[in-house]
Amino acid sequence: MTMTYLIQAENLSYKINEKKLFQNISFEVNANSALHITGSNGSGKTTLLRIILGISKPTRGSIETNLTSDMCYLGHKNALKQYLTVEDNLILQSIQHNKPLDTLLKDIDLYDKLDVVVSNLSFGQQKKIALLKVFLNESELLVLDEPCVGLDGKAQTFLTSFLQEELGKNKSIIFSSHINLNIDAKSINLDN
Amino acid sequence: MNILYFEFLKLRKKSRGWLGPILVFILIMTAFPLTVEFLNEDLEQAFFSILWIAVLLVMMLATEDIFLEDFNDGSLEQLVIHTESLSFVIGVKILIYWALIGIPVSVIGSIYCLGITSSYEMALLIFPVLLISSYIFLNLFCFGNSLTLTKGSVLGTLITMPLLLPLLVVLGKVVIAINLGLNYFDFLILLLGVLSIIIVTIPLIISFVIRAHLE
Amino acid sequence: MIKKFIHQFASPKTYLKQVDKAYSFIFFTSLSIYLIAIFWGLLLTPEDFVQGHSYRIIYLHVPASFISQSLYLGMAFASAIFLIWKVKLSAYLVRSIAPIGAMTTFIALVSGSIWGIPTWGTWWAWDARIISTLILFIMYLGLISLHDSFTNNEKADKFLAILVLVGSVNIPIIKMSVEWWSTLHQSASITITQKPAIDPSMLYPLFASAIGFTGLVICLVILSSKLHILDRERNKSWVKDYV
Repeated sequence: MTMTYLIQAENLSYKINEKKLFQNISFEVNANSALHITGSNGSGKTTLLRIILGISKPTRGSIETNLTSDMCYLGHKNALKQYLTVEDNLILQSIQHNKPLDTLLKDIDLYDKLDVVVSNLSFGQQKKIALLKVFLNESELLVLDEPCVGLDGKAQTFLTSFLQEELGKNKSIIFSSHINLNIDAKSINLDN
Repeated sequence: MNILYFEFLKLRKKSRGWLGPILVFILIMTAFPLTVEFLNEDLEQAFFSILWIAVLLVMMLATEDIFLEDFNDGSLEQLVIHTESLSFVIGVKILIYWALIGIPVSVIGSIYCLGITSSYEMALLIFPVLLISSYIFLNLFCFGNSLTLTKGSVLGTLITMPLLLPLLVVLGKVVIAINLGLNYFDFLILLLGVLSIIIVTIPLIISFVIRAHLE
Repeated sequence: MIKKFIHQFASPKTYLKQVDKAYSFIFFTSLSIYLIAIFWGLLLTPEDFVQGHSYRIIYLHVPASFISQSLYLGMAFASAIFLIWKVKLSAYLVRSIAPIGAMTTFIALVSGSIWGIPTWGTWWAWDARIISTLILFIMYLGLISLHDSFTNNEKADKFLAILVLVGSVNIPIIKMSVEWWSTLHQSASITITQKPAIDPSMLYPLFASAIGFTGLVICLVILSSKLHILDRERNKSWVKDYV
C-alpha cells in the first residue's frame, strides 16, 4: 500500500552567508496530520516554513509536494493594507460578505469593525482579521507561523478548537509556535 | 480580471500614490513659464525639454514605493504563493499605475503644450508620444525600484538613469521631427515597438527579481 | 553533458591555478607589444594632414573605448552563464571586471576630451557617442554600487547579473550611435567590409596598441578576479593552503 504524502522532505539544510542555520531535517506530512516545528529564537523555523511554501530554496536536500490546492499561509506579516478598511481588505482576499462571515466575526468580537480602517485597529485585532482567511480557507494544507501571537485567551481557544476540527476534516497543518496549542501533532526541533 | 479590480482598488484609495505625482507635474509645468522671461520664442524651445524631464521626474516619484509597500506588509509573499504567473500581476499593477498617473499626466501635458505653442496639431501629435513615453519610463523605474527593494529607491533610480537617457534623446528628436514635418510616424512606430518589447519583458524580469528578493 | 563540461572548468581553485601559470607570460608579452606600439606610434609615424601631432592620442583612446565595450560584453556573457548554469565563478568574474571596465571607460572619456581640445576646440560636446560612453561609465559605477549594497552575496550576484543583461541594450546603441545620428564624432574609420580610411602607416601601430592594451587589461582582470575569489571563498580550506 503506497503512502500518499502531502509533503515529503529529506535532509534539508540551509546556509546563509556560509553559516549553517539547520541541517538534515527530514519529515513527512500526510492528510489529517499536524506538524509542529519547534526551536529557539533564530533556529530557522520561519525559514523552514518558507522552504515548505516554496518561497525559499534549501541549500541542500529536497522537498516534494503533492497538493491539489494552494497552501493557506499566515506568517508574521499579516498582508493587510493598512490604509483600507476591513471590508476592503476582505474584498482583496476574495472573501464574500455573507452570513457565515458575520457569525465568524461575532465569534471573534469584530462584528462592528467592518468599516474601520485597519491602521486604527490594535495589533491583536489585526491578527484576528488576518486569521479570517485561515478560518474560511479551502486548502488542504495550512501553514501557520506563530499564529497565537497577540491573541487574547478567548481567541486562542477559538483558534485551537478550530484547528483541531480542521484536522478531522481531512486537512493538514504545519505550524511553528512557542505556545502549546494542544492539538495532536508530531514535533520536530530545529536546535541541533 | 479580478486582479485588475484589486490593484485599481488599492491604488485608488491611496490618494497620495496617484494624486501626488499628478500635482507635482502640474506644479512643474505651471512654474516653468513663471521662471522664464515672457518671450514667446524662448518659451517654446525650452518647453519640450521641461515637459520630458517633468514626465520623467513624475514617473520616478510615482514608483517610489510601488513594490515596497506590498513587500513590507506581506502581500507580495502571498502573491508569490498563490499566483501562477507573478509577471502578469506585476504587468497589471504597472498598467493601473499608468492608467491613474500616466494618462492624466499626458492629457495635462498636451494641454500645456497647446497653451504654450497655440497649435492644436502640435498638442495632438505630442499626446500619443507622451502616453507611450510615460509608460516606458514607468516600466523602467519599476525595474530599478524592484532591484533595490530593500535598500530604498534612490540607488534603484540611479541605476535606471543610464537606461533612460537614450529614450530622452529619441524624444528630443521627435519634437524636432514634428517641427520640421518629417518622420513623425516612423518615430511613433519606433516608440511603440520599444514599448511592446518592454511591456512583455520588464514584468518577467521584475517577477524574477522579486522572487530572488523573497528567498 | 554541457553542464558537466562547464562544471569541470568552473571551480575557482582550478581557475586560480591556471591563471597563475599564464599570468607572467601574458603580462610581459602584452607590455612589450604595447610599448613597441606606443614607441612606433609616437615617434615613427608621420603627422596627420589635418590634425598634426595631436591625433596620436588615438593609440590610447581607441583601445580604451574598444576595451570598455568589450569588457561589458564579456560581463554580459558571464552573467548569462551564471543565470543559466549557476556557475559561481562567472559571478565572481562579473564583479571583478566591473571596476576595470569603469577605469577603461574613464580613460576613454578623458583621452577623448584631451583629443577634443586641439581638434574641436572644446573638451566636451553633447554628441551621441560621447553621451553613450558616459552612460556606460555611469552603468559600471551603478553595477559596482548595486553589488556592494547587499550583504547577502548570493542575492547580490543574481541582481548584478540581471542588471548587466538589461543594461547590455546600451552597447548596440553606442556602436550605432555614430551612424544613426549625424554627430561631431568621426565615424568608424575601420570597418569589416570596407577598406580602412586610415593610412596603413598609422593603422599597424593602432592594431598593435589595441592588442597590447587588451593584454594589459586582461592582466588587470586576472589580478582583480584573484583578489575577489580569494575574498569570497575565504572560508574554504584550499584558500588557507593557497595563501
